[in-house]
Amino acid sequence: MKEYSIVITGVGGQGVLTAANILGWAALNAGYNVRMGEVHGMSQRFGSVVSYVRFGEDVYGSMVPEGKGDVILSFEPVEALRYVNHLKYGGMAVVNTKPIVPVQVSMGKASYPEIEEIRAIFEKDWGAKWIGFNAEELAVKAGHVITTNTVLIGALTQIPGFPLGEEHVREVIALSVPPKAVDMNMKAFELGVKAAREILKL
Amino acid sequence: MAKVTDMVLWDKPGEKVLLLGNQAIARGALEANIAVYAAYPGTPSSELTDTMAIVAKKAGVYMEYSANEKVAFETALAAAWSGLRAMTAMKHVGLNVAADTFLSSVGMGVEGGFVIMVADDPSMWSSQNEQDTRVYGKFANVPVLEPSSPQEAKEMTKYAFELSEKFKHFVILRTTTRSSHARGGVELGELPEEIKAGKRKFGKFKKDPNRFVDVPSNARKFHPIVLEKIEKIREEFNEMPFNWIEGDEKAKVGIIAPGLSYAYVKEALAWLGVENVKVLKLGTPFPVPYGLLERFFDGLEKVLIVEELEPVVEEQVKTWAYDRQIRIPIHGKDLVPRVYEMTTRRAVTAIAKFLGLETPVDYEELDSRYEKALKLVPPRPPSLCPACPHRNSFYAIKKATHSRGIYPSDIGCYTLGLLPPLNAVDTTVAMGASIGIAHGLEIAQNGSLSEEARKGGKKIVVATIGDSTFFHTGLPALANAIYNRSNVLVVVLDNLVTAMTGDQPNPSTGQTPHGVGKRIPIEDVAKAMGADFVAVVDPYDIKKTYETIKKALEVEGVSVVVSRQVCALYRVGQMRRRGEKWPVYYVDEEACTGCKICINAYGCPAIYWDAEKKQARIEPSMCWGCGGCAQICPFGAFKPVEGGDE
Ligand code: SF4
Ligand code: SF4
Repeated sequence: MKEYSIVITGVGGQGVLTAANILGWAALNAGYNVRMGEVHGMSQRFGSVVSYVRFGEDVYGSMVPEGKGDVILSFEPVEALRYVNHLKYGGMAVVNTKPIVPVQVSMGKASYPEIEEIRAIFEKDWGAKWIGFNAEELAVKAGHVITTNTVLIGALTQIPGFPLGEEHVREVIALSVPPKAVDMNMKAFELGVKAAREILKL
Repeated sequence: MAKVTDMVLWDKPGEKVLLLGNQAIARGALEANIAVYAAYPGTPSSELTDTMAIVAKKAGVYMEYSANEKVAFETALAAAWSGLRAMTAMKHVGLNVAADTFLSSVGMGVEGGFVIMVADDPSMWSSQNEQDTRVYGKFANVPVLEPSSPQEAKEMTKYAFELSEKFKHFVILRTTTRSSHARGGVELGELPEEIKAGKRKFGKFKKDPNRFVDVPSNARKFHPIVLEKIEKIREEFNEMPFNWIEGDEKAKVGIIAPGLSYAYVKEALAWLGVENVKVLKLGTPFPVPYGLLERFFDGLEKVLIVEELEPVVEEQVKTWAYDRQIRIPIHGKDLVPRVYEMTTRRAVTAIAKFLGLETPVDYEELDSRYEKALKLVPPRPPSLCPACPHRNSFYAIKKATHSRGIYPSDIGCYTLGLLPPLNAVDTTVAMGASIGIAHGLEIAQNGSLSEEARKGGKKIVVATIGDSTFFHTGLPALANAIYNRSNVLVVVLDNLVTAMTGDQPNPSTGQTPHGVGKRIPIEDVAKAMGADFVAVVDPYDIKKTYETIKKALEVEGVSVVVSRQVCALYRVGQMRRRGEKWPVYYVDEEACTGCKICINAYGCPAIYWDAEKKQARIEPSMCWGCGGCAQICPFGAFKPVEGGDE
């Protein structure tokens, strides 16, 4: 495999960087060259965040170029759309459909689109496969909302052609969370796997 | 997945670990046996300093968070004069602060290796301008090294110390946001025995007033020496390991790729499927080595220079080519934009144009699809955290001035007070500038209290400045305003850490990475300087804060109100670590009238609007329990949840 590129998006504080790190380590452990980039803007607290994970034989830049991403993994629906230009035509979108409404929307200065509108852009304009589900709900089921990122990563591993083995990824997650949280995270991972398989009819 | 800071100190040569560019530089400095490190945090350089802070004690390195970049520079420089390997780091604008010492001392050179790491921020992700540090390098005649990957960042740091020591000259290690914040696999090298043993190294300063006192008679001797050194270094760079020529030797076209642009060029060439080009990979954008240019230009019919920001390499190459009577087309800034950061798209587009090819993606078509998608996307700028004490200070300032003041502010999290609904920041220029600008605005509009012709009028200029910024460059500005009888209010937003860059300590914190330092209370400084009114308030008490600000506004002269409450993110982080809980608030549906004051005037991100019920709501997972909303709601609708929550 020459190169595989993942775009991870969300809102500051959601765990975007942690998810990127887990995937980066899994790729490094699997023997790939890895290059990752992240945006640390002005505190980025509660602002829009994006992180890139690229791995394979030939990887150079740390950012996923526009029109070249294989998959977008998004913690929040409009944040997926904000970076859709990085996705290649016919790519994949794994999206947590639970919105976080920006203050501008509460103030009535902007509006928040319907999830179906976002999905339509991915499917029609980008020819992309949409794997959208409420990951937060599943995380709560697994034990705590903080496992939302594990749920999403679990779902990501199920997409066709994903080059990292489930085991590689699980291993890194188990090592990166506190020992007492391992079981909860493994459960969250499983729920993500199941959700994606249902949507993909696997 | 070990802790990054552990990996930076791992004694496991050959092991491959995933490191951030900045962490790779820290490892490189340790492999080079660094003895002293001093810096002021600034994005995108901060992680280098933070990493050093954590490993310093174990590695026997003296490390400090200095009050500003100039002081940090001087600390490290003096160590290098004492024969130790020393380093300082800063963001690009930090070099402006250190520039006075930098440009004045370069002629004196060093004894131990001295490396100045400067992180540029093309596209200004978290900065006030886009300056190119390579221009400073050229200005000061100091060599600039620029890595193209995290692995190279580590190797290059080590080499930078050796180079500096060999020529007894300063060396700039320049990164950009994209290289400082890129992660990649890095192969660990050997650590020196002294670092492994954690042995603190001490140097010896040999007096030499002819060298270390820059009176004109001495300084006059320095300039030619510096020029001589830089030419020798130019020679050296012909053979240095981070410069090379690759690709098709018989190619007729060539591309020069300095620093990180090399990564983008490689990616672009692979994407375009172009093979018959020669590439000059340049780790030294200044000075560009002529011998290497000579070899590279051999047989070429045209050349493209793909570099970010200013045409620093382009100008050197063109001058050299002109002098050598080489008359082939040399392209650069005519095909590569001069503003904002390099991207693969930019490299691909420039190279495609240069070679007369199609780009692999139809960008025009992509842009039009994207434009359509973006129409649906609401803005989401970063915001002050829930429970951030700054929100309350701004709220109180706005209320006390009936929103009619002018509000010069500074560099820090509080710059976000610019955003609605607070709209409490009218100017931000550079570190510490808020007080100087406030003074200037007052002088221009009303005059100084010491002038006979003073126009008078009400004091309406309120400067806000953070604790770290206050000590960074606020001090001289405050002295100036007090001395010149200004009539302004300075509110010091003292949250006891340097929050924006990641909670580093400063003189208001008192704690240093080694333990207890000495805390300097800002109110004592203001009193000692002779401010006309000084008070300390807790911004979590909004009413008291408002009343104190009102009082301060009535006093003629310079008033200083220290608004002190620890950074909420810092506090919550500490509580989480200790497994403690904090109160969470909720909206009493009976009491909420839907007036929207909490959203339209206060703006805590945990509060959102329930459009169906036309009432405010709190997202419990985002509430950090300050109780601010309960104080500003006229109907008492915000109440703490019994028992609290995490
Ligand atoms: S980090 Fe601290 S100072 Fe910055 S916005 Fe959050 S609470 Fe406020
Ligand atoms: S108590 Fe109110 S103002 Fe404070 S964090 Fe919670 S919702 Fe925000």
